[in-house]
Amino acid sequence: MNMLPKHVVLAITDAGGIIARLVVGGMFIYTGLSKGLDPVAFLKLLRQYEIVHTPLLLNMIAGVLPWFEVFCGSLLVAGVAVRGTAVTVLAMLIPFTIVVLRHALRLQAAANIPFCAVKFDCGCGTGEVYICAKLIENAILVFLTIWLAAGAGRKLALRYQLLR
Amino acid sequence: MNVPVGNPTEDDRSGRSSWAVLTEAVAVVATGAILGLVINSISPRGLKLTRNYFPGAIHPAQLSETHDAKTVRAAQPPHHLAEHVLARLKAKNLNAIGLDRAKALFADARRASGLVVFLDARDEKQFAAGHIPGAYLFNHYRAERYLPNVLPVCMNAQQVVIYCYGADCEDSEFAAVLLRNAGVPNEKLFVYTGGYAEWHANGLPIATGPAPMLSEPAPK
Repeated sequence: MNMLPKHVVLAITDAGGIIARLVVGGMFIYTGLSKGLDPVAFLKLLRQYEIVHTPLLLNMIAGVLPWFEVFCGSLLVAGVAVRGTAVTVLAMLIPFTIVVLRHALRLQAAANIPFCAVKFDCGCGTGEVYICAKLIENAILVFLTIWLAAGAGRKLALRYQLLR
Repeated sequence: MNVPVGNPTEDDRSGRSSWAVLTEAVAVVATGAILGLVINSISPRGLKLTRNYFPGAIHPAQLSETHDAKTVRAAQPPHHLAEHVLARLKAKNLNAIGLDRAKALFADARRASGLVVFLDARDEKQFAAGHIPGAYLFNHYRAERYLPNVLPVCMNAQQVVIYCYGADCEDSEFAAVLLRNAGVPNEKLFVYTGGYAEWHANGLPIATGPAPMLSEPAPK
């Protein structure tokens, strides 16, 4: 039932892969930079989650993770080690989304408001956000990243595979 | 003998491919972590990895408070919050003062001779946007920058009032603990719990502009 010629489908897939790399990579560069340029604010937000209590670990996450995100974002935008980077990005995105969701559920229970009315600074580098918008954004990012990890985004990649 | 395996070469290729992706991911993690450490260490805004930026922080368990209780508290009226802040200060063995005492100390004649000192424990941007007149900026997250200037001032003072934004802001408490650890007697230190928000909301005098150069005295 494929109505489009094969070469058109391929062109659309290639373009989609490039867009996926740019969207996920660009997002990671932006959020990483906004956190990396104000690590103290990020450190305070991280502490609020009360997941890590050891100063060394807390400082490592607040001081190093933003630049790590910028690095991963740059690799995706440039198209270097795309699948490996996508796997790494997924390993950050999924646990982070779970932590944010858990925090939002607590806030919702405390304030007794509709779930989508919950708004807080999740430490994502974009300031205060409504939780539903954040979850939709993360779902899109996860979907695009899975697609990249599965092999999309080869076109216009500087070095798609690091090891060949 | 023919072995009825679907396509061994494809399976091998897929296995090798997964292995290559994982190896690539490990390489990305290692390189990214090293790069992050290097940038953090050379950036003027970087964090000192071994430093405790929250000295004297009270773990929720020490206040018989769970994470959920803290979240519930955040949604409660201000007087509940004030009670909680007082309990936290007590647990840290810090002296708390309210608006009336802060106003009295601000009007105290000893302030002109540096015997009563106000410290603003917020960051540079917030300080520049508005602060209690005459207050010194003491952003404790950049203690290496401010402590050499602020410590002698505090040692000479008889009373040191430390404030941050107010509400559930803990920066004034961390700054007070840091000063206490640096040798300032605890009885001199007073945390103004209402903070800048309460001061400003009550129409009390404020000053704007950046903090004076570190070697200069704060304007009276």
